[in-house]
Amino acid sequence: MLPRRAWLAGGAVIAALPAITRAETPWPAQPIRLVVPFAPGGTTDLAARLVAQGLGARLGQPVIVENKPGAGSTLGAAQVAQAAPDGLTLVVSNIASHAIAPSLYRDLRYHPLRDFTHVALLIETPSVFVANPQFAPRGLGEVVRLSREQPRGLDVASSGSGSSNHLLIVQFGQVTGARVNHVPYRGAGPAMTDVIADVVPMMSDSLPSASGHLRGGAVRGMAVASAARHPGFPALPTFREQGVDLVSNSWFGISGPAGLPPAVIGRLNREINAVLAEPATQRRFAELGGLVSPLSPAAYAEFIAGEVARWAPIVQASGAKVE
Amino acid sequence: MDIIGNLAHGFAVAFSFQNLLFALIGALIGTAIGVLPGIGPVATISLLLPITFGQPATTAIIMLAGIYYGAQYGGSTTAILLNLPGEISSVVTTLEGYKMARNGRAGAALATSALGSFFAGSVATVVVAASGPLLTSIALSFGPADYFSLMLLGLIISAVLAQGSIIKSIGMVVLGVALGLVGTDVQTGQQRFTFGIPELSDGISFVALAMGMFGIAEIVLNLERPEARSVLKTKVDSLWLTKEEWKRATPSVLRGTVVGSILGILPGGGASLASFGSYMMERKMSKGRHLFGQGAIEGVAGPEAANNAAAQTSFIPLLTLGIPANAVMALMVGALIIQGIQPGPRMVEAQPDLFWGLIASMWIGNVMLLIINLPMIGMWVKLLQVPYKFLYPAILVFCCIGSYSVNNNVFDVYSTVVFAVLGYMFNKLKMEPAPLLIGFVLGPMMEEHLRRAMLLSRGDITVFIERPISASMLAIAAVALLAMMLPNLRKGKEAALSG
Repeated sequence: MLPRRAWLAGGAVIAALPAITRAETPWPAQPIRLVVPFAPGGTTDLAARLVAQGLGARLGQPVIVENKPGAGSTLGAAQVAQAAPDGLTLVVSNIASHAIAPSLYRDLRYHPLRDFTHVALLIETPSVFVANPQFAPRGLGEVVRLSREQPRGLDVASSGSGSSNHLLIVQFGQVTGARVNHVPYRGAGPAMTDVIADVVPMMSDSLPSASGHLRGGAVRGMAVASAARHPGFPALPTFREQGVDLVSNSWFGISGPAGLPPAVIGRLNREINAVLAEPATQRRFAELGGLVSPLSPAAYAEFIAGEVARWAPIVQASGAKVE
Repeated sequence: MDIIGNLAHGFAVAFSFQNLLFALIGALIGTAIGVLPGIGPVATISLLLPITFGQPATTAIIMLAGIYYGAQYGGSTTAILLNLPGEISSVVTTLEGYKMARNGRAGAALATSALGSFFAGSVATVVVAASGPLLTSIALSFGPADYFSLMLLGLIISAVLAQGSIIKSIGMVVLGVALGLVGTDVQTGQQRFTFGIPELSDGISFVALAMGMFGIAEIVLNLERPEARSVLKTKVDSLWLTKEEWKRATPSVLRGTVVGSILGILPGGGASLASFGSYMMERKMSKGRHLFGQGAIEGVAGPEAANNAAAQTSFIPLLTLGIPANAVMALMVGALIIQGIQPGPRMVEAQPDLFWGLIASMWIGNVMLLIINLPMIGMWVKLLQVPYKFLYPAILVFCCIGSYSVNNNVFDVYSTVVFAVLGYMFNKLKMEPAPLLIGFVLGPMMEEHLRRAMLLSRGDITVFIERPISASMLAIAAVALLAMMLPNLRKGKEAALSG
């Protein structure tokens, strides 16, 4: 039976080989794949590419961005949830895939907390209400009044049904009693076009995608949904200042599949936060309209759990539900 | 005049060594990815985006723009030689261009496409420079009701003008619309016809559909008929256009340039809508309309001029409003923001170097593309003499890479196979796939605008007649429909198409 035993022994050695190499060469021994669950060109994609560049330099291995858009960013997240937890496949976790989708999609293929190891938060960007310059109301109070006077409510556009911007409109209606007629679009660009053309008077957008139009005067800012005024737009009042108790940020960070080794989590978090602390990153993130928010892995996981709980009742109220 | 001074400034920027070099690099890369079926400008530009982080903003945008319009030149090459549309905008080029190639006029088709593109590109550059801001305000006057009526008109005309049985072509348009509706409903977020497959929630991939139905189905048909392959091996007599061909192509190029320049500006329109629009126009208006279906040069000249004009005028909404009209423009916005430039209405005043430098570089890029492409026509035509048994496995591989790389998703490769089978069946049943594609592209846009118009009017259907743009589109559509139904006119159309 010697040949068979030799085979078995040989098999065991071969099976043990990757473990040995892993023990000898520190992680990461190969390039890291960072899945961006959105199409190229958006804020998330750009921020991910910026971080990937800095992170790759610090880890000594390239971090390759791979766009895998689809199904409200849940396709890319689902793929990484099923990947091997070797720290070589990561995903840009975000408010859509990890906070809203769990309530929006009935048969989501992953659990936002159990199926992932959450590593680091990258950036938070507030939502804004912007209006056509001709729009009569000057503040949110006047918007609420106008919306009640109209028999079928005030038209307000958003980048899509079930997006965080849409949900802010729903919340706004709940908190103030405003009567709103939601007009969804396929992305923020077409919605902004129709606000500038005065087809729809007002829209809920994220600050990064609206900032160019705000600065250029094509639209007028009504309110920003951050806790304090944004440094880039000091004249734009917050919702709270106008008596509407709403704070709504969209956010994204880096996560991996469940069960990442603690050493990898620690190293990744440390290096990502170091990239975030670089002045060049800070400057570029500010240009994107976002705020850098470094968190520990545990704090990021806790943050996501809070977001899941927070959005569930709002998704329910919005009436958007994907079978 | 102010514009001349501005343009002079732009040329001064564009003629710097660095900017010239990167315009050339962009044009070369663009031509290469255009020729390779399936590898589109979106994938390429997103891969090259990090390289631009370290460049000055103007240089970066000049290079990325070169890739985009270079791809329009290159894309027509595979469409004409291999019947493979890599992008929506080159679908219609396959219809007449590939037939010309089979008639031994591949060189003429390629030359027409390159020269037509160059002329249209030059005119569109002037259009962007002279009237960008004015045209933007016209585009902004299109409301949802107007878009709906424009698209309805497009669908009706495509059915009216289709070859062969009208019933079959209407059936194909309807099937195309139905396929286009697969995915998430924009208004409610509900998923429709996805059968629980998450990969279908954003709809069927256009690239998978077009590659399967046109490219792979064509390969299968070629392998089935050995004699068809020998047609491709017949000697290509002349690379240049005959006097007669010049005479026929020139008016088509002029019309295509106008149609393309206008449709390029509409948000959501761009090169694809322009080439469809021009094709329909040529089929109805050109002197050679009776030759459509057998390799009419008008069917290459018009759409190729139109898609290149539109590729350049589609920069207008981006440069004057900061609004991207398509996926490539969305990437341009990203590249600008990374550079600290917010695309928006103030960009022309705030970044004159960028705005005028880009415009000047577009024209320079077009000259470069002409120089790159014309001498290479002979080389491309030789590609047809490569034995088919070597050619088709390569095409199949590129089709797979192409459909995979759009979303990095294997599911799209499987869809390509399904559509290849369908495309083969349609060919056997003598059903044209082009109306299906038009329905597939226009159908979902039409639905979106219809429902948005109704949402905004609170269900009042009269918006479609109250708005003058919408009302005139609907009137033209009604006339076209009536013309189709009147029996003697219809006989005339059939005679014209078959004779």
